[in-house]
This record gives sequence, C-alpha cells and structure tokens, in this order.
Amino acid sequence: MSHANERLFDHQLAREVKLRKSRAEKDKRMPLKDAVAEFVQDGDSIVETGFAYVRGPMAAFWEIGRQRKKDLVGIFTPGGMNTAWHEFGGMEGCHVAYVGVEMRGLISPFRRGVQNGTLKVYSEWSHGGLALSLLAAEKGVNYVACKSMLGTDIMKTNPYIKEAEDPFTGEPVCLVPAMYPDVAIIHVHHADKFGNGRIWGPAVNDTSICIAAHKVIVTCERIVDTLDIRTNPYQVIVPHYCVDAVCEVPYGAYPGDMPGMYYFDRRLQERVVRVEWKTAESTREWYEKYILGTKDHFEMIQLIAEDEGMNVIDYLKKLEQLACDASFYGLGTWGIGGEREWKYEEVAKRAI
Amino acid sequence: MSEVQYTPRELLACVAARLISDGESVFVGTGLPLVGALLAHKLHAPNMMAIYECGAVDPEPRVLPWSVACSWTYHKAPTILSMTSVFGHSRAGYADVGFLGGAQIDMYGNINATCIGDYDNPKVRLTGSGGANDIASLCGKVIFMGLHLPERFPEKCDYITTPGFLDGPGAREKAGLVGGGPWRVISHLGVMGFDEETCRMKLISYHPGVTPEVVQQFTGFELIIPDDVTETPKPTEEELRVLREEVDPNQLFVF
Repeated sequence: MSHANERLFDHQLAREVKLRKSRAEKDKRMPLKDAVAEFVQDGDSIVETGFAYVRGPMAAFWEIGRQRKKDLVGIFTPGGMNTAWHEFGGMEGCHVAYVGVEMRGLISPFRRGVQNGTLKVYSEWSHGGLALSLLAAEKGVNYVACKSMLGTDIMKTNPYIKEAEDPFTGEPVCLVPAMYPDVAIIHVHHADKFGNGRIWGPAVNDTSICIAAHKVIVTCERIVDTLDIRTNPYQVIVPHYCVDAVCEVPYGAYPGDMPGMYYFDRRLQERVVRVEWKTAESTREWYEKYILGTKDHFEMIQLIAEDEGMNVIDYLKKLEQLACDASFYGLGTWGIGGEREWKYEEVAKRAI
Repeated sequence: MSEVQYTPRELLACVAARLISDGESVFVGTGLPLVGALLAHKLHAPNMMAIYECGAVDPEPRVLPWSVACSWTYHKAPTILSMTSVFGHSRAGYADVGFLGGAQIDMYGNINATCIGDYDNPKVRLTGSGGANDIASLCGKVIFMGLHLPERFPEKCDYITTPGFLDGPGAREKAGLVGGGPWRVISHLGVMGFDEETCRMKLISYHPGVTPEVVQQFTGFELIIPDDVTETPKPTEEELRVLREEVDPNQLFVF
C-alpha cells in the first residue's frame, strides 16, 4: 500500500475512485461504529471539516480513537482536539495550516509530538492556501495560482507548492495543487438517508472537501426526509453522490460548537488542552477514561456530565441561545431548536 | 478628581479600537483583536464591518465571541460564506485592515506563529499560520498585537509565517504580495509603526508609566525613536464603560 502522501495529489487516482462510486440513491444509513470500521483504514489521510471545534465531527473522531486506527495522516485546516490520536499511535504525520484552540492555547499532544519528532509535519500551509488546494480539487482544476504564502518560510517548508511567474502578468504567484484526501467526515445539522447534508452557519471548506475526498462519511444531528431536502435545497452543502455512509449522531460535534443548536464546551476544552493533556501520561489517562473506557459518544457525554455534576448539553444549548436564537434563523422550522431534552437512553437508542 | 483605573489589557483594547476608522472592513483575529474591533464598533465606528476567516461577514454580535468561528460571530450576518470566499474578497480589495497576533515579530514586521528554534528540531512548536498569512498577504494594512519582550521582538524571526516587509524596502513587491503590509504594532509597552524609507519598526507612542528607553530595552533590535514620540492617551471613562459593560462584561479577555 502506498503512503497516504503519494495519493494526496494524484488526480488520476482520485477520478478513478469516483468513477467507481454508485450514483444511485441508496440508503446509506449505518451505525457510526460500522462506518468508521469500514471507511477509515490505517494509514489513510483524513481531513478536518468544519472549523476545528465548530461543527467538527467529534463523535466520529473519538470513535476512530476507540477503534485504535493507526498511522493516520491528518490534514489540519484547522486542526483541533483530534490531534490527541497521536499519543496512541493513531497519527503518524500531518499537513498543517493551524493546530490549536485560539485563546485557549496550544494542543499539547500535537506540540509534544512535533517537538520530540514522533509526529511528522509533512507540509506547512496557510488556511487560505490549504483551502484553495481543496477548492482546486472541487472545481476540477489542476492547481490554483494565488497570492498567499509568498516570500515566507512556508514556501520552503511545503514541498507541494511552487513559486512561479504568472504567464499573463509576469508577477510571482504561488501555485497550489489540487488535494485529494483519503477520508472526509462531515458533521451536518440534517441529512437524508442518501447523504444529502444541510447545515446552518459557515460551510468553511466542506463542499470542496466532500468532492475532493475519496471516501465521505456524513454524521448528522438528525436524519430528515428526502422530500424536506429536495424541496428546500438551500444550505445543502453535501450532495449525496459523494457520500459513502450516513450516521445519525445527535450532539456529534460535542465538545465543539453546533451553530444554532449548542455552544462549545469551553470549560472542558480549556481544562483538557491546558491541564489534562499536559503530559503524555495524563493524556493517556484522560483518553483511557473518556474515549477507550466508554462504548460510544453518548456514554462519553454522560460521563463528562457526571463529572461536572450538571447537564452539559442543556447548559450549552442555553449558552448558544444567548447569542443565536435557533428559531430566529428558521432552524426552529427545521425542528432542531432547543426543544429536545437531553436524555441519554433515548438519544443513544435513536442513534442505533 | 480621582484617577481613572484600568488594566493593561483594557488599555490595549482601547488603543486597538482607536486604530479602526468608521466605514472600514476589518479582518479580525482571535482574542484581543476581537475585543478591540467590537469596542470600535460600539464607540466610534458603527459602520465598521468585521470579516472572520470561517466565512462570516458583517455580523451584529450580541455578546463577545470566544472564537473567530463560533456562532456568535455570525449573529445577524447578512451572509455566511466560505473560507476561500473571504480570503478571495480580501484579495479583491474588500478588506481594509487585518488584525493579528503571533509569538514573534521582527524589525520588518514579519510574524512567527510556527515554531521557536530550528524548524526541523523546534524548541516550541506553535499553532502554524491559520489565516494570518493570508490576511497579511492580502489585506490593506495589518495591525499586530502582542506582548513586548526581547525574545518576542527579535531582530529576525525564527520562522517567517506571516509576511511583513520581509527583508526590507521593495521586498513585498518583489515577492509578489498584494496588500500594504504591517501598519501598527500594539504591545503592552507602546504603539509602533514603520519607517516609510527603511520599513523598520519605529515607536509612535509609549504607554503611561513607560518611557521610550524602557520600550527599547524590551525590544530585541534597535527601534527607531523619533523626536515626536508621545505618551499613549489613557482610556477614557466612556471607553472603559463600554468595554466593561457592553463588550466584555464577563471579563473573558480583559482582566
């Protein structure tokens, strides 16, 4: 099997993979466990979607950890808490535009891994540069000529991009080739059983990513009827034909933010990235307790809720509505306002 | 009359806000830039427009966001775009000011957010560029905010993540960069700009309680100190009231 990096910019391979995919509308619903087992293979490159802790597919990322996938290559635009895979051999290298949690600091496992040489950084990017790389794949062009990254050390520490002379103007431009990751997992508000996915909030790079990636898993807060999607296609950012699996995972972005539904768990994040992941040992302890020690995402949330002595989901819903009233945006008519109570047994049952 | 009391971070937020003019579009980074932009919006720049790299443009934030991508940044935004769109619009000329942070800034305004020490064998690995490189490559002018220490203001950055004037006059044009480059640096000791001829950092004002000599002592290179440097005006009562009561009532960023 070739290394993930050898497949990453291979547009012929990417086309062959997509020529083989069925266009038929078929029911792709399956439990998250099965989707991760089938579509995430050891050594795959896997791209972040959403914006790190905003609409990131966290439940799927924790499930990847639970299944002890090995030697993944991360593509971080930006990257968040899933960099903790590294501590368990889950990730051997990465392509980086940004890894961190902004004001809440750096993410220790990533930092440690790069500093002690156990986590390879294959290429440096700017957010805009990496976004254009994925956009090029979606738009069907070999590369994009852009004005980012020029003149900086990023040009020297990224073997995939090139400086060239614009044949039209003679100016220097940075050429960014189309990138085709092995796996993309996208978390959306609504999806139908075929994989059409609808969001509220910024798409960030997600449409590009879905078309670029060889394999796409869609996780969603709720499965909706296809008629709902087909009569209201606005904000549908994932088309069904690129999707391999659809998993209903309510609160699948936790501890991240799901626009219009629940805010991110800042207290947990801060404590985790600053304190609990400070050393390799403490990261391992945390991981063993919350990820490996729980059978699924819901049990993990339940465990955190018990630790906190409060209903975290309820709290985050209220926090979100401070600034962003779901019904105001029409999300209420989609049926994902604040109406749903957090009851572990029910939600877990719904998600198969 | 009693003296107005304020914290160093409150001063920084006020200084940042004053640098934003009404009607400007501002590409906002996380942390204090968020506070400064929101303060300007509520004080003297009601027609200011914020742009966030996740794709949000021109929101009316109800409360201070904790992140440049969270849903609080697109409250009442007229449209929510994608990452390539907002950077593309900056290249097209729709972003006047870029607001950034970083671990190091050198005398030509180049910023390091990637690593301390040798890249291949880093002493400290940092976050990487994020949108900072794009913002500094494409926006009209760039404001940098950060702590003022000799190792954070070195003569040369360990790694240039984000372009300033690179290695001096004419270098940005030669490299093919579009935007105007660094404009102001706000530190906890003073406000700096850049000399038009040499592109080197120069002091504009020093904060109350500080002298130009102190600013120089905490700078790892020779700072240009013109004769007309002044003391940074203290925050006014009105600035502090809006900051404390409306922008950051929970003291998330300014403490």
